[in-house]
Amino acid sequence: MDLFSPIVISEIICLIVALCLFVKDKILFWKINIAYLLIALSTESSAGYLSARNRHNVSLFNTFVLFEIAFISYGMYHCLKKYIDPRPIIFAGLGINYLVFVIFTLRNGLSFYNDVFNDNTVNVMSVIFVLYCLYYYYKLLNDEETLELKNHPEFWWVSGVLFYYFGTTATNLTYGLFQIKIFDHIPLRLFIYYITNIILYSNWIYSYICRAKQRKLQS
Amino acid sequence: MQSQTTQIAILIAITTLIFLLMPLFLILYINSYTRHKKNHALEKQQMQQKFESEILQARIEVQDQTMQTIATELHDNVGQLLSLTTLTLNSVNLKDSEKAEKKISSALNLINKSIKELRELAKLLHGEQIVENGIGYALEQEINLLNKTGAYEIEINNGLIDIVERSPDKDLIILRLLQEIINNIIKHANATTITFDAFYNYKTLHLNIKENGIGFDQEKTTAKKSGMGLNSINKRIEMINGKLTLNSSTNNGTIILIEIPYP
Repeated sequence: MDLFSPIVISEIICLIVALCLFVKDKILFWKINIAYLLIALSTESSAGYLSARNRHNVSLFNTFVLFEIAFISYGMYHCLKKYIDPRPIIFAGLGINYLVFVIFTLRNGLSFYNDVFNDNTVNVMSVIFVLYCLYYYYKLLNDEETLELKNHPEFWWVSGVLFYYFGTTATNLTYGLFQIKIFDHIPLRLFIYYITNIILYSNWIYSYICRAKQRKLQS
Repeated sequence: MQSQTTQIAILIAITTLIFLLMPLFLILYINSYTRHKKNHALEKQQMQQKFESEILQARIEVQDQTMQTIATELHDNVGQLLSLTTLTLNSVNLKDSEKAEKKISSALNLINKSIKELRELAKLLHGEQIVENGIGYALEQEINLLNKTGAYEIEINNGLIDIVERSPDKDLIILRLLQEIINNIIKHANATTITFDAFYNYKTLHLNIKENGIGFDQEKTTAKKSGMGLNSINKRIEMINGKLTLNSSTNNGTIILIEIPYP
């Protein structure tokens, strides 16, 4: 794995944009984006470093999944709260995700935490997040208020999430089943992650810009 | 084995591509739906503005019509009564007390009649208050004014006096419709009898007007698209989601049936 892979580069750009735009933001969710991006970037770069030294990095990704579940759930809570009280569905989702994580971690054995990737949790998590996103779109379509979607930060943030978790579904489901490389050296699975990560962070960067514009208009 | 793995990989790549395209189409769909929703809201707003401007127009026209009626009444009725009073009083000879008493009494009668007429006119001056008392009352008053001219034999079946439902905006337009129809009858119909039927049934207000005038060729009038104020009547009825049925032919009079969802 490359230290400066496309994922790391897109995370750095996204983090810089978030830092520039959200340091003074009054809404907690947008500030938390900075923290999450910092965790994601440090995980990805540490994993890259370990990989370069031919050492296992699975435990890093396994731990990162815990943060990912919490952050995306909180993001969906923030987006859905305008339309409903999302606490029941968010807490239910969190419960399911963490339960699956614990069950599969224990089943694989704690001693294999750095050897076996908890792909089951990622699969369940993806399905739950995709459902959240679709539910958000449903609520958006049924809303009386007509929004300017082009400049609606939450919409683009959720779209990024949907692209990423829906786009990686096929790859997640077939995790470990094949090892084919394209362009001579990049594994196809990794290539798909590159593409989906770039789409995710592009959407998020755009949503951050929309949020900054929105804040400027509101002030 | 290698080719099977390649096939699986291609399958995964295609599936991923489809899974990426689906959100894209979903986003495009949501975007287009929202745009349509926005346009619809805009159209609704424009229609509301148009409706409000039509209400304003109807209000102005009702006021104009009222002013015209007042002017005519003052000139033809009250003016004549007062002139007659002046003449009567001028001809009073105080030396002939018996005759003078009769003339003064007659002048007093004329003045009382003038006061009564002026009171009637004062009611008209309230303008919008006509519809505030309800559409039944407004229609009654309008038809009574026509009746006063004595030029027509009029039959009124007004079942709207007691209706509880109110829609001030629609009332104003309905009143204006009636005024326009009456104007058309006066100007073009050469009628001698007019029947007004107004009633409320199943959330629909019915207004039926029948006259025995010269009638007109409906096809020709519709083709001309102008004249006789029919366009204006049609436009106003459409605005309040009503329905107009016109039945007329040359020398056979005209029947106008209007149905308006109410309130």
